[in-house]
Amino acid sequence: MTQETITIENKTGIHARPASVFVQTATKFKSKVQIKAKGKTVDAKSILMIMSMGLVKGTEITIVADGPDEAEAVKTLKELVESKFGEE
Amino acid sequence: MAVTIRGKGVISGIAVGKIMLAGQNLDGYLVDYKPESLEAETAKAEAALTAVADILSESVERMQKNEDQKEQAAIMEAHRMMVQDPSLHDSIIEQLQETKSAPQAILKAADANASIFEAMDDEYFKARAVDLRDVGKRVAKYVLGVKEPEIGDEKVVLCGQEVEPSVIAGMPTEQIAGVLLGAGSTTAHAVIIAKARAIPTVVGLGDKLEAIADGDHVIVDGETGEVLINPSEAEQASYNEKIKKQQEMAAYYASLKDLPAVTTDGVKTELCANIGSHMDVDNALTYGAEGVGLFRSEFVFMGREDIPNEEDQFKAYKEAIEKCQGRLCVIRTMDIGGDKPLPYLNIPKEENPFLGYRAVRISLQRKDLFLPQLKAILRAGVYGKAAIMVPMVINVAEFKKVKELIEEAKLELNHEDKKYSDSVQVGIMVETPAAAVMTPILAKYVDFFSIGTNDLVQYTLAVDRGNASISYLYNHFNPAVLRLIQRTITSAKENGKWAGMCGEMASDPNAAVLLMAMGINELSMSAPSIPRVKEKLRNISSIKAKEILADVMKMEDGDEIKAYLSKVL
Repeated sequence: MTQETITIENKTGIHARPASVFVQTATKFKSKVQIKAKGKTVDAKSILMIMSMGLVKGTEITIVADGPDEAEAVKTLKELVESKFGEE
Repeated sequence: MAVTIRGKGVISGIAVGKIMLAGQNLDGYLVDYKPESLEAETAKAEAALTAVADILSESVERMQKNEDQKEQAAIMEAHRMMVQDPSLHDSIIEQLQETKSAPQAILKAADANASIFEAMDDEYFKARAVDLRDVGKRVAKYVLGVKEPEIGDEKVVLCGQEVEPSVIAGMPTEQIAGVLLGAGSTTAHAVIIAKARAIPTVVGLGDKLEAIADGDHVIVDGETGEVLINPSEAEQASYNEKIKKQQEMAAYYASLKDLPAVTTDGVKTELCANIGSHMDVDNALTYGAEGVGLFRSEFVFMGREDIPNEEDQFKAYKEAIEKCQGRLCVIRTMDIGGDKPLPYLNIPKEENPFLGYRAVRISLQRKDLFLPQLKAILRAGVYGKAAIMVPMVINVAEFKKVKELIEEAKLELNHEDKKYSDSVQVGIMVETPAAAVMTPILAKYVDFFSIGTNDLVQYTLAVDRGNASISYLYNHFNPAVLRLIQRTITSAKENGKWAGMCGEMASDPNAAVLLMAMGINELSMSAPSIPRVKEKLRNISSIKAKEILADVMKMEDGDEIKAYLSKVL
């Protein structure tokens, strides 16, 4: 199991477009990927679950992956969040 | 022999086309739905999820190619992911245990997930509840076999218990051959739009719609209300005769197109068209419309989830105004209330929406809605001749407030350095008895009056026009109504303003004669009615019409007046 904790920096948080990019990226990996935030753990391949967490700017999230490509999955998703999804 | 069903023909003409089921209200379909075993329902739900996801993927791909549609593509992509979401799938399976019906389970699961979003603090996330319900509805429709209206190559006959006005408004005129409705109202908005486009329409088909399947070939007779389902060649041939007659009539009316509506002694009335979308203007001009007397701006506001912005509205108004080629285009500001709920208006359910928070009453309280609309019209005015018409006014104060807001809109446009027209006329729609009574005072402030008879009759006589058991009381020849109309026209004349009419009454040729005698300047109606009214006015003298008017004003009863006019005209 690999995990990393980061803070969401883009202004609008993880709303529909970033959430869909995030889910699309997570779905590419074979590993089980989860997000932990605000005391909850959800499936990172479910756009509904991610959006239902209300991840606004400043929220701290932990990306957890478990499976054959876990290291790559966590690294890629972390970079995606750090890149602010190409937004401000 | 084809199966023939009969409803009430409300817009005449023969239509031949392929059925497209477009029912948006699913209640009727859900009641009729017969669920199978739990396994079968589960399989159906899963198949529908996959199929809708595929359809959405295709639209996303198509939209991504177009720079303008990138934003829309992103939203559709989010919808696709919602459809394929593992957690939505799980809640559908859960709901199936309880409801045993795939469409019910899908709607409930979407609804349950939507509620989670609604409960969130953030406005953005709250609004996603609408997306989720939309997605749920779409998948449920797939299971129920209700087609999404899509634009194909063939002419279609739209068919459903109800068809949302935005569905018709969103399709080009040449695509829709006919409209079939299960519901019975002749004043439903779908019918009003169909009328503006002369689309043969039959309503009140009720359960008989079950005989029709998606893709069936039908012949629709908008005169008799008959609908032939999958007609034989012989039946098709017999209808060809009727179609021929219809074409001859159309040719005769077309010959009147460029002739003015002038009486034998030279009194001219301007005949304009009522339209529901900028796409209707071309069609209106082919009937000889001399302008647009009523552009219902509602359809700019309907069928969407957020407030239409100034730019979108500007484009729609500009196009309509340009197409009018220098003729007047009267744009009515938003006329919406609790009877047509819009997600972004948040109007609570009202006991009596027609006497409630609607039209100008909303506009004056919601500057965020009204200012962008005023600015859009003022800007579009640069491209031709535009007028702003305010609905539902009951007193002078409301109109003064509107004028103030127009000044505010101009100020903002100055600041934003955007071009606008300073010669846009501003008038009111006279549709409340209060406004009609006050026209001698209102006339000092307005540029024009346009009488909206549908509501004026309803409010004056306290008769709901949709209520079949009292519809015999609904009569635009009622003496009280005629007096309010005459008063309005006289008030305009005495103050050097113009008066028009944009209600159904204007399309009644006998009424047109009376109105012309009262001195009305303009009559605006659904475009296909123009030739009939024109023919009537061209074949009478104003002297004769005034004599008839004098007789009519002595009569005591609306039905008596109606019968008298049918006899003498």
